[in-house]
Amino acid sequence: MCGISGVVSSQNVVSRLQSGIQNLEYRGYDSCGMAVLNGSGTVVRKNIGYVAEVAEREKFSSLTGSVGIAHTRWATHGGVTQQNAHPHLSCDGRIAIVHNGIISNYLKLKKYLEGQKHVFTSETDSEVVAHLIEEYVNNGRTIEAAFVEALRELEGSFAIALVSVNDPNRIYCAKHESPLIIGLGENENYVGSDFNAFIEHTKSSVILDDGEFAIVSNEGYSVKKIKNGEPVLKKVTIIEWDAEMAKKGGFPHFMLKEIHEQPDSVANVLAIEEKKIVELARMIVEAKHSYLVGVGTTYYAALFGQYQFAELAGIMAPAVSSDEALESAPMSEGDFILAVSQSGETYDTLRVLRTAKKNRVKTAAIVNVIGSTMSRMVDIAVMQGSGPEICVISTKVAIAQMVSLMRVAIEAGVITKKISQAKKREYMKQLGSLPELIGTFLNENSAFIHNLATRQAHQNNWLFLGRGKYYPMALEAALKVKEVAYHHAEGMPAGFLKHGTIALIDEKIRTMVFLPPESDKGLYGMIMSSIEEVNARGGSIVGIHFSKSLKNSKLFSDQLCLPKTHPFIAPIITLVAAQLYSYFVATALGRNVDKPRALAKSVTVA
Amino acid sequence: MLHVAGRPLLYRTINMLRDSGFSEVFLVIGPKGDKVKEYFGNGENLDISLSYVFQKKQDGIGDALLQAEKWINPGEHFLLVYSDVVTDENIFASVLQSFGVSNVPVAGIVLPTQSSAFGNVYMDKNMGITKIVENPAGKGTGNYVLGGVFVLPYAFFSYLKKVNGNMTKALASLISNEGLKASIWEKGWIDIGYPWDILSANRMIMDTWKTSSVHQNIVVKDAKLKGPVFIEEGVEIRSGAIIQGPSFIGRGSYIGNNVLIRKYSSLGPESTVGFGVELKNCVLFGKSRIGRLSFIGDSVIGMNVDIGSGTMTINCNIDKAVVKTKINRTELNTGMSKLGAFVGDNSVLGCGHNLKPGSIIKNGVVVPHHLTFPKEVR
Repeated sequence: MCGISGVVSSQNVVSRLQSGIQNLEYRGYDSCGMAVLNGSGTVVRKNIGYVAEVAEREKFSSLTGSVGIAHTRWATHGGVTQQNAHPHLSCDGRIAIVHNGIISNYLKLKKYLEGQKHVFTSETDSEVVAHLIEEYVNNGRTIEAAFVEALRELEGSFAIALVSVNDPNRIYCAKHESPLIIGLGENENYVGSDFNAFIEHTKSSVILDDGEFAIVSNEGYSVKKIKNGEPVLKKVTIIEWDAEMAKKGGFPHFMLKEIHEQPDSVANVLAIEEKKIVELARMIVEAKHSYLVGVGTTYYAALFGQYQFAELAGIMAPAVSSDEALESAPMSEGDFILAVSQSGETYDTLRVLRTAKKNRVKTAAIVNVIGSTMSRMVDIAVMQGSGPEICVISTKVAIAQMVSLMRVAIEAGVITKKISQAKKREYMKQLGSLPELIGTFLNENSAFIHNLATRQAHQNNWLFLGRGKYYPMALEAALKVKEVAYHHAEGMPAGFLKHGTIALIDEKIRTMVFLPPESDKGLYGMIMSSIEEVNARGGSIVGIHFSKSLKNSKLFSDQLCLPKTHPFIAPIITLVAAQLYSYFVATALGRNVDKPRALAKSVTVA
Repeated sequence: MLHVAGRPLLYRTINMLRDSGFSEVFLVIGPKGDKVKEYFGNGENLDISLSYVFQKKQDGIGDALLQAEKWINPGEHFLLVYSDVVTDENIFASVLQSFGVSNVPVAGIVLPTQSSAFGNVYMDKNMGITKIVENPAGKGTGNYVLGGVFVLPYAFFSYLKKVNGNMTKALASLISNEGLKASIWEKGWIDIGYPWDILSANRMIMDTWKTSSVHQNIVVKDAKLKGPVFIEEGVEIRSGAIIQGPSFIGRGSYIGNNVLIRKYSSLGPESTVGFGVELKNCVLFGKSRIGRLSFIGDSVIGMNVDIGSGTMTINCNIDKAVVKTKINRTELNTGMSKLGAFVGDNSVLGCGHNLKPGSIIKNGVVVPHHLTFPKEVR
């Protein structure tokens, strides 16, 4: 996802272009840039980083121009580099374009254009658009004719905006499967990926449909069909709503939106090429010692990974919280560090990696933000491709990381011969079913979880218990409740309880227990004995389980019965339930869900 | 007409519609709709234009909606609202926002305590509704459900006609042709399906009250008021009365000596409450009389009901079990551990009755005095 903004006016448009893409940063924020037309030609400034950083570094404020386009990027094709940032120029610099979407036939087009002596400066799919239009212009067509001709050649999805010194008073734009709308001001008009690009300036808009292109000047606009150039009469929509809501795609909070995006973030992990996963698995298997490093939620993801490596590959790869790693995990040549991070900028984890590199330790990372420091410094970076996560509380990124680690553990198991190819296929099949399973789970269980959360919202003192791979889930669930509901919740291995903490059990403290499916016999039996221990001391237990037979059980004072799930992927479903639970507790208590007090998205300080 | 928190349900709905920018409301009313027309008229008092159409036979939402086709212009979108839905804040503004953002038809969706009674919604990550399963009995799902508020296109009438007014099927064609976007409502929402839902709705609305409002033109002497109370013009409160808020006392009501009105009591206009009566968590629609030394708790009393002296609504089972009741011979679990009685409009209850928890007395029933001597009164 990327964000497009464009302004055509008789005044200087630079500050409005900048605020336009700043308001679209929720769509992506790894690099940005703008192109403006002034008397002397097309001026492009672009670089990597947030809009505010780039604006300062590239001195946006020194630009002037009455027509311009801007872009904020979330990389899909090509790394995060200044060259790959948009806008992209044609060879002669007379045409500048910005693009959101994926041009699926770009390699073919690029090859053809290189044959026509076009020189490409980036690795993006988008750049072909600029050169293709230039090619048609060079063959004698007007900008409009060349633009439409090029659009007809493109396959995939696109929203495109173009400015050119050949026609310096207009913006050309087009839409196919990526959003684009026109904003109508007084003596000036706008284009944007959504109305956040211009909501501060106008409430009138024209929403383009797939297969349409538009020519926008400061005095008006015309919309035509790409296919045959037929004019289209468009309705003007008056925007009467709050800009925040649109960013959230209609969801009340980013947290809920991102929880609902988990089928996609898991599917994206499953689409990571096997070669890369195998490479990672091999490094873990071959290392003298392997450590899985993360902090906060990513430490719990790493801890979940530790259980997976033990179970599937028979390998001890301890998870270490990166803030404690340098003191507790001695590293020397032949060792291997696998870091897990959303932002790739986490100070504590970077510190571990830097020390590791100094000690000639091999490093790898599972990371979400392309182009981040971490993704560039490690020997192998696996990009999990979860898309921007805006809510400070991690949900979709955490689950994607856990599924990534499951994949690596499966491959490691194949290498260590702990699991057969047939077993691998079975596990992969289970993972393959996860996206749909999570989607159905969210649809069919939200009300149950909401009801549980409403009943429990005022209990503010909790123990969260799990055994085996449900222990990291208990930790992560407790962290969610702490972060977003501000309730005390202590995650703990269920077996650990009787070695001290059980003294806390009384009527004032609640215990939430995460049970595996009954078919996970060993774990199931052990957790049952922990439940008895708590009940024997008059504790009050909320059971999160998969067993229909426990539905009316007196073991629990309250409970949530999850749908029947294969034991291999059941912990993931447990965690999705816990995420939703913490969300509904937080909304019942009126908490600031997306920006909880005292928390920041990426912790880049010591 | 159902009343909650001192006003007909529709009064709140129409006010919220006006506050979200609507100037015209069309009401589809059934055989007993005269009262609605009488109460609201052309909407002048509420600063909105109201028009009515009669639905001859109550034949479902789809049929009711088809009656309104002539009012909507081709190409327009309109808001469809079910009148038995109560929310604590303005759901219409929220649904309109979603429509504004997406520019496709919208359905407000909610998380109820029981999903199975409603249209269960399946949606994708973009909040596009992919399917709606009506009353999935036995499946035990916990879906978001349709909240009774929609933004629909004019074309919806043609979908409805093709399926003989079947709302679920018409929504399915809407989903496949134009799409239907969900708008999540996370605030309070109650669909009044059962009599006891009136009490929940009353409570939900009264919980939003922060301040009291007492009309200057009332007669009150030596009474105690506490918490947010709403007292309208011409109310007379005699000495020794205690009124605990949130509570509502409608215009022209009479509250006798030593009456105790406890939280969440809503007395419609011209209610008469005799000496020493205790009221608690109850809704009186209006023009009813409660005889001296009675207790009315967790109960709903319709319009123009006469309740004799010394009437007790027993509001819990002796073993504190959840109250069950019968509607049309079907036994229902109300889910409430405290629940009194439901008395229909124009009924008369003689003196001295003890009403079983969950009793339902229909409209216009006359129950003689309960006498211990002589045994037969007639």
